Amino acid sequence: MTAPVIPAALISSLSRIVGDDGVIRDPERLLVYESDGLTQYRHAPAAVVLPRTTEEVAAVVKELAAGGRAFVARGAGTGLSGGALAVAGAVVIATTRMNRVLEVDVENRRARVQPGTVNSHLTRESLPHGFFYAPDPSSQSACTIGGNVAENSGGPHCLKYGVTSRYVTGLTVVLPDGEVVSFGGTGVEEDPYDLVGLFVGSEGCFGIATEVEVTLTPVPEAAAALLAIFDRLEDAARAVTRIIARGLLPAALEIVDGETIRAVESSVFAAGYPTDAEAALVVEFDGVEDSLAEELAAAEACCRDEGAREVRKAASDEEREALWRGRKKAFGAMGRIAPDLLVQDATVPRTRLPAVLERIMEIGRRYDLKVANVFHAGDGNLHPNILFDRRNREELARVEQASKEMMQACVDAGGTITGEHGVGVDKKEYMGLIYSRSVLETMEEVRRVFDPAGLSNPGKVLPGSIRSAIRGAEEDAVARV
Amino acid sequence: MRFDEALQSQEEAILNCVHCGFCLPACPTYVRLGDEADSPRGRLHLMRAVVEGRLDPGSDAFQDHIGRCLGCRACEPVCPSGVQYGMLLERARQVATSARPPARLTRLLLALVRRDGVRRLWLGSSRLLRDLGIPEGLLARLPEGPISSRMKTALAMLASSAPSTLSIGAPNGAEEVASRSGSPNGSGFGAGVSVGLLEGCVQKGLFGRVNRATERVLGANGYRVVSVRSQGCCGALHAHAGDLTAAREMARRNIAAFEEAGVDLVAVNAAGCGAAMVDYGHLLSGDAEWGGRARSFAGRVRDVSQLLTGGDEVLRGAPLPLRVAYDPPCHLLHAQKIRHEPLRMLEAIPELEVVAVPNGDECCGGAGIYGLTHPELGGRIGSDKVEAVVATGAPWLATGNPGCIMQIGAGLRIAEAKVEVCHPVELLDESYRRGGVYEGRRGAEGAASVDPDPGRGSPLDERAETGAVPRPGGA
Repeated sequence: MTAPVIPAALISSLSRIVGDDGVIRDPERLLVYESDGLTQYRHAPAAVVLPRTTEEVAAVVKELAAGGRAFVARGAGTGLSGGALAVAGAVVIATTRMNRVLEVDVENRRARVQPGTVNSHLTRESLPHGFFYAPDPSSQSACTIGGNVAENSGGPHCLKYGVTSRYVTGLTVVLPDGEVVSFGGTGVEEDPYDLVGLFVGSEGCFGIATEVEVTLTPVPEAAAALLAIFDRLEDAARAVTRIIARGLLPAALEIVDGETIRAVESSVFAAGYPTDAEAALVVEFDGVEDSLAEELAAAEACCRDEGAREVRKAASDEEREALWRGRKKAFGAMGRIAPDLLVQDATVPRTRLPAVLERIMEIGRRYDLKVANVFHAGDGNLHPNILFDRRNREELARVEQASKEMMQACVDAGGTITGEHGVGVDKKEYMGLIYSRSVLETMEEVRRVFDPAGLSNPGKVLPGSIRSAIRGAEEDAVARV
Repeated sequence: MRFDEALQSQEEAILNCVHCGFCLPACPTYVRLGDEADSPRGRLHLMRAVVEGRLDPGSDAFQDHIGRCLGCRACEPVCPSGVQYGMLLERARQVATSARPPARLTRLLLALVRRDGVRRLWLGSSRLLRDLGIPEGLLARLPEGPISSRMKTALAMLASSAPSTLSIGAPNGAEEVASRSGSPNGSGFGAGVSVGLLEGCVQKGLFGRVNRATERVLGANGYRVVSVRSQGCCGALHAHAGDLTAAREMARRNIAAFEEAGVDLVAVNAAGCGAAMVDYGHLLSGDAEWGGRARSFAGRVRDVSQLLTGGDEVLRGAPLPLRVAYDPPCHLLHAQKIRHEPLRMLEAIPELEVVAVPNGDECCGGAGIYGLTHPELGGRIGSDKVEAVVATGAPWLATGNPGCIMQIGAGLRIAEAKVEVCHPVELLDESYRRGGVYEGRRGAEGAASVDPDPGRGSPLDERAETGAVPRPGGA
């Protein structure tokens, strides 16, 4: 569990680059870097470096590469797949001091930011100009754009607006050998190969983005939402399918299940959802004001057709906020029920939602675990939350087994093992469930093009048998608690 | 007692943290340093490591990072899991100081406010120096250097506790009559309710004028202000520094004092003291004799702005055509979730233009004695606040906590900015004074009848600090 020893000479070279206050090496101080948002895995890095510029990142990476030392980029550490976990003696390169919005270019509807910029801060800077940054992970108030690029993050409104890859137009990247390159960018003809597209979602395995250029979206004229209450979770899922089939395009379609409703309502975040309901569906539309009433009425009809017992509509921003409250506070409310929470993330075809949800609940019952569902129903992106206490070893084993079976259920239904949280360390063993060996080998070859030495975020994404071919990826015992 | 027992017993509270990281951008130290260990989540992680026996509370890591927290509690309102960070921090500080005694300066400052006699002497002589203009004189003469920079901060803070020019040259009460909506004889919405004011330690020693203004304003709105003898310091500074034993002793003393006075409510005009007192229930939760009394006391604590906006419309005063920036103290905003009341209170002043300080929700870096114990980081946070205040262009700043008044005041002074700082209640008081509200109340039934303190008259006595505003009429 103690961090691997790092040579004093390396520490002093790193300090020369980023200053003494930019290097953390004391094992006790490194404890706080042993996990990101997924606390089931713990492993402290060998050191943490806090650079401020692209040049500093490049110099640090060069120094580490020269010594064959692995490294992991880390933003706010809100990731939920263990993507920022530092294994194999890796040094964490934290982007927290690179948190400036460099430019908001209204005429070109673009912004240029440093990777440590908090997602919602970019929107905050853009709003006075009438724009916002569309991808909105639920952690947007804390997570960073750099992390969003690594994970190709989504969020509730990605149903209509699309995920991160749709918005990144240019990148400055420090490659795993320390070379600085630019992909895409304003005024440049489209690259023959979409290298920006390749890099977004590469989970830190292809290098470190040190500058990100994104497209901004005009703030819609108006928005309206409804909340539909159901007695059966499947009915809510069917209403989602009906809304999409009808040709409507909501900005968001979110389901909160009965277990979650009761958790939220018993917390200080009580949002007024009826506690005897088995599902609440939030449907939001935005766009031209005149069209909203019609869209909302059509969505309401869909919900009623599927047996919604109650539909509440919100016109004003305050009313809309109130409807959303139960959904947005769900994650935190779980923390009040159990000390630990495993937020699973998988995607299934929308039409299979009712059947898959039923299987997930059955698995939870069989393993005697509390499972609460909060999810982006419009995308078929499920988030079964398993609640537990990691101090209970026996329960932990059940959590692991149940989690695996839930993944299998999603794959069986024609789905995939992640929607938006990435593979990281948590899902890599599931990769074999959806990809053939030759596809995985191809992925590994692509990875090797960027990182022949296997130094950039080792031990992630690709499963063990494949990964072991990459040098430096032998994991030292990761505490799986 | 085992040194880490204070945290051990709070393990469940620490476990409420699900490590989501939503608190990071709200933390002034994390935002500036970028180190996870200087974030609320990081500090909770360190606390948990101590509880798990993986970290020595005497280690530099625990000492530095727990010590570097401002205690502003900006992380609490953004925490979806409702982690009681402020409470846990106090326990962690207790563990930290048991493992390694705090710095000399911290111990000295805490000792100065703990004993009545010592405190009176210290604050009394400080006030004398201040009123003689000594700090200002010294400020101009101090050479550059690390020691004198700390001295400078302390002197500038002291100088900033002096009364503002608010009431200087103001027309005399009787001339302008306010547009009064309340009754002049104390039958406003506070009628019948008796309140005792917590005088505080620094507040009493250097800001007696704010206490007097509070009493007058409450009286004008119908409250019966009762003098509460044998009260003392609220213990907030001690609790924040981890000296929970002293804090509990002070809490018990205040609870007994206010019980004896038999008041309905406890009024407080210092955000830090209010935050500490609403937590008395927690502080004494393990105490069989005092636990229940502490909870009952805590339930009766009200900030002056709550008392004035809790019922009908607050009594309006005469116009004060000023542009005032309002900066919410953290221990009002984050710790007590009091956001709108001070602003609503200021709405009772015609022609007063109130502007928000950009990023006003962030701490000013004062944080009790932080400005003195962490001059570098506290200074950085402080200068950002000063810059934000100056950016409003307002020549006045109002904030409801003595520490913030002095921290921001000192920063403004050092930056040579022409901004005066006062407590919001002083503005309302001045508006009432100009409106003749107190003239009408002189001798009236139910007026702010405050018993004079026995020791009044000595230059070192705390009640001699009345500021430029005349004392209220009354019994």
